[in-house]
Amino acid sequence: MEAVNIQFAPATGTEEEWNEAYARLADYFRSYQLHNRIRRTQLILETLRRAAEAHAREPGRTPTAHSIEQARLMLRDWLGTIYRDLNLSEAQIEAAGRLGFYLSGGPARWPHFFLDDENLPENMAEAMRSAVRTSGPGMQVSKMTPRDIDLGIVSDVAEDTFDTLGRHPMLRYALLITIAGSVLGYLYLLLR
Amino acid sequence: MSAAGSHTTLLTPSQGLPPRRVARTRRATFFSFVGLGTIAGVWLMYVYLSEHGMRWSEWALLAAFVPLYYQLNTGFWTALFGVWLMNRPSPDPLDLWRSLTPEEHEQPITAGTAIVMPIYNEDVTRVFEGLRSIYLSLEATGQAANYDFFILSDSDQTSQWIEEESAWLELCRQLDAFGRIFYRKRRKPINRKSGNVSDFCRRWGRRYRYMVVLDADSLMSGGLLNAMVRIMEKNPGIGILQTFPKQIGSETLLGRVMQFAQALYGPAFMAGLDYWQCGEANFWGHNAIVRLDPFIKNCALPPLPGKEPFGGHILSHDFVEAALMRKAGYAVRLLNTPRGSYEEGPPTLVDMLKRDRRWCQGNMQHFWLLFAKGWHPMSRINFLHGILSYASSLLWLAFLVFATFLAATPLPRESPQAGLAAQILLGLTAALIFLPKATILLDELITGRVFKTPVMRAMTFLSGLLDTVVFTLLAPVLMIFHSRFVIYTILGKGVRWVTQRRKLDGGVDWVEILLNFWPVSVLALVWGVVAWWVSLSFLLWISPILVSLLLAIPIAVAVSGTRTGRRFHLFLTPEEAEPPGVLQAMEQNLDEVKGRLRLQPELERFHGLMQVFLDPYINGLHVSLLRRRRNIDVSRGYLDEIAGRLIQQGPQSLSPQEIKAMIHDTDTVTNLHYRLWSAADHELAPFWITAIRQYNLASGGPFAHTLARKTKDDAIENKP
Repeated sequence: MEAVNIQFAPATGTEEEWNEAYARLADYFRSYQLHNRIRRTQLILETLRRAAEAHAREPGRTPTAHSIEQARLMLRDWLGTIYRDLNLSEAQIEAAGRLGFYLSGGPARWPHFFLDDENLPENMAEAMRSAVRTSGPGMQVSKMTPRDIDLGIVSDVAEDTFDTLGRHPMLRYALLITIAGSVLGYLYLLLR
Repeated sequence: MSAAGSHTTLLTPSQGLPPRRVARTRRATFFSFVGLGTIAGVWLMYVYLSEHGMRWSEWALLAAFVPLYYQLNTGFWTALFGVWLMNRPSPDPLDLWRSLTPEEHEQPITAGTAIVMPIYNEDVTRVFEGLRSIYLSLEATGQAANYDFFILSDSDQTSQWIEEESAWLELCRQLDAFGRIFYRKRRKPINRKSGNVSDFCRRWGRRYRYMVVLDADSLMSGGLLNAMVRIMEKNPGIGILQTFPKQIGSETLLGRVMQFAQALYGPAFMAGLDYWQCGEANFWGHNAIVRLDPFIKNCALPPLPGKEPFGGHILSHDFVEAALMRKAGYAVRLLNTPRGSYEEGPPTLVDMLKRDRRWCQGNMQHFWLLFAKGWHPMSRINFLHGILSYASSLLWLAFLVFATFLAATPLPRESPQAGLAAQILLGLTAALIFLPKATILLDELITGRVFKTPVMRAMTFLSGLLDTVVFTLLAPVLMIFHSRFVIYTILGKGVRWVTQRRKLDGGVDWVEILLNFWPVSVLALVWGVVAWWVSLSFLLWISPILVSLLLAIPIAVAVSGTRTGRRFHLFLTPEEAEPPGVLQAMEQNLDEVKGRLRLQPELERFHGLMQVFLDPYINGLHVSLLRRRRNIDVSRGYLDEIAGRLIQQGPQSLSPQEIKAMIHDTDTVTNLHYRLWSAADHELAPFWITAIRQYNLASGGPFAHTLARKTKDDAIENKP
């Protein structure tokens, strides 16, 4: 493991802003399930160093924004080295590459080599590559075409009736009221 | 797996299809009894009513009586034939279990089988833990190599969708099942569940010879799955083999009474149905195995003419698929399965009625198909029975209304013949209602088919008497609601596709019950006043129905509660007394997830959304699974605007449509991940500030939020 030897003296930005950036980077690298605190601290400090340089060039953006951008660039470079042989677009490398690191067991097995493209163990790179090669079963397309069902004459008549009723809600309710009225009228005749 | 698995080697093309002679004899026998019983009842009713000639209302009452009595007779004779079949000394020659020799039960399985589970906004933990149990159960049989699992999602709630993706990945990781368990999400849920399954068939159907269809709450043992594949291999004439899924996992009184009744009376009814349905049985849409080649060729569903609710997309697709399969010359058979096939039921009365509303519309739609050309006559009878199962409620209501009219206009009863007819009819009807239950209870007392010990047999007997009380109280309430559903369907009020609730989750909802049931109680009150005005004797005659309706609210509360008598061993089922391995394994895992600490409610509500934007791995997974295509529905500017709102105001400020538009776009999902992490605290909504601070504390593993944390070794120990 390399000695922790980082000179961090940002020329721009306030101490409060850089503290916020530190805290955000700490949370960000924890979300990668990197439970090795020493490695996490190394990564945070290295990212802050790069972010400080970037902030000096472009002080309009916050140190937090620069820090996360630097982390993204470091990740892209690192994944690009690992997946350069596979025919993947940059966006695919970024998405599938992160997943490949997790699926290969990277956070637990190789936390020290996360974002380290100089000392990358070959078995780690191979495990990450094979993790993204897994895909679903190839499609074997079949035709599943509905065949018309001949519903017969009764259904034709009923369909026409229901279609008419469906298009004229007033007619539908008039029919219902007629039925209900007939029943009530009949009851009245019976009981008078 | 090769595509060769998609063609069945025909041993004997019709094997599995019962001989026509046998089927005809059985149906002639069965329907003779049903017809005789119906004619006798109708004749007695006619004699009673026609003492002074027939009035209009008497004809109307008789017309409503005929289908009701036919239905009563069908149920009665199905149960009695079933009890006879269960006790006959020589085994049923058509029993499919007998088609396999003991050696064939041990032979390796070579046919490719897809186990498909269509889901729609279901409880993610239940879905994936259920699947894990089935998977492990199959692994334990040593025959799992030719099975693939497909989770076919139509979920339209974004958080649910993300949780499904992460649960799928985690399950594959824990079981080392990449390439064996697949997840597919449809962007547009065209034609709902049947469209979901058809989509699978079109894309991957040719790879497999069989497809086992599961519901989100289904559970099946590996042993039974293997047996089903072997039976299909031995009987190439069978197109669909339907098991008898037993209800499990109920916690409410209603659920436990239903599952008890199903465990006790179900086998007799199943045996009876199998007796007369033969090769023209029904498909219930899940817990069944389907021969894919003829299914793909013949069972695609056309839309029905006209608009919903009567026309349009076929809702109850399973009955129609069964009819189409039979039309194509393949048998649809029931498989008597005392163990190994399970499902869950609705927990409360309101949930049951919501489900019935959907089923009612689906069955009423089949009215069109009754008269269609080319069906096997038994398929028409199956459609008719489906329609009658809901229409009979309206007929019963009409019968009671006409009875009220007649009681209001009494004529002197002088003929002893009419009086005798009425008494015989009353006795006959009581026998039709209660005799099957009494026979099955007696059968249990003598044989101990469900429970072996005398004490448990006695408790089963007592529970059988008590469930009669529950069902007697529920029947009039169901009659009113089912009648309403039928009328709604006729009036053109369709149903929405909603997620089914399968667990109680937080107690009885009094407000929901009050809102749904007060009209029923008011109706009972009005009807009671009319009956009292008509005559006291009529009020007494109709009082059992009116009392149930009047007490609809307390009944709904009581049956939806968790006081179920379990500690007194009431309504106990074999699955509760001795849970099968596949169920035990699932419940252990569900308990583990249930026992975990929860995040703040707001974070839990949007958990999937929070993960997809904050977690680098879940973000990567979601983007990897999205199909890379240009989002043509929305502009980049619109997506940027809602992304900005999401950051500054939180997910609650976005509509489901806005969230959906964003989550389907790979660039937006990727960029939002970095934009959120890059934003200073003052640029973030309070939701995101809390989420960023709490996410790492709560997340033991990004993908395991909804799943039990098992290592591979744990999984092997838990093999059902």
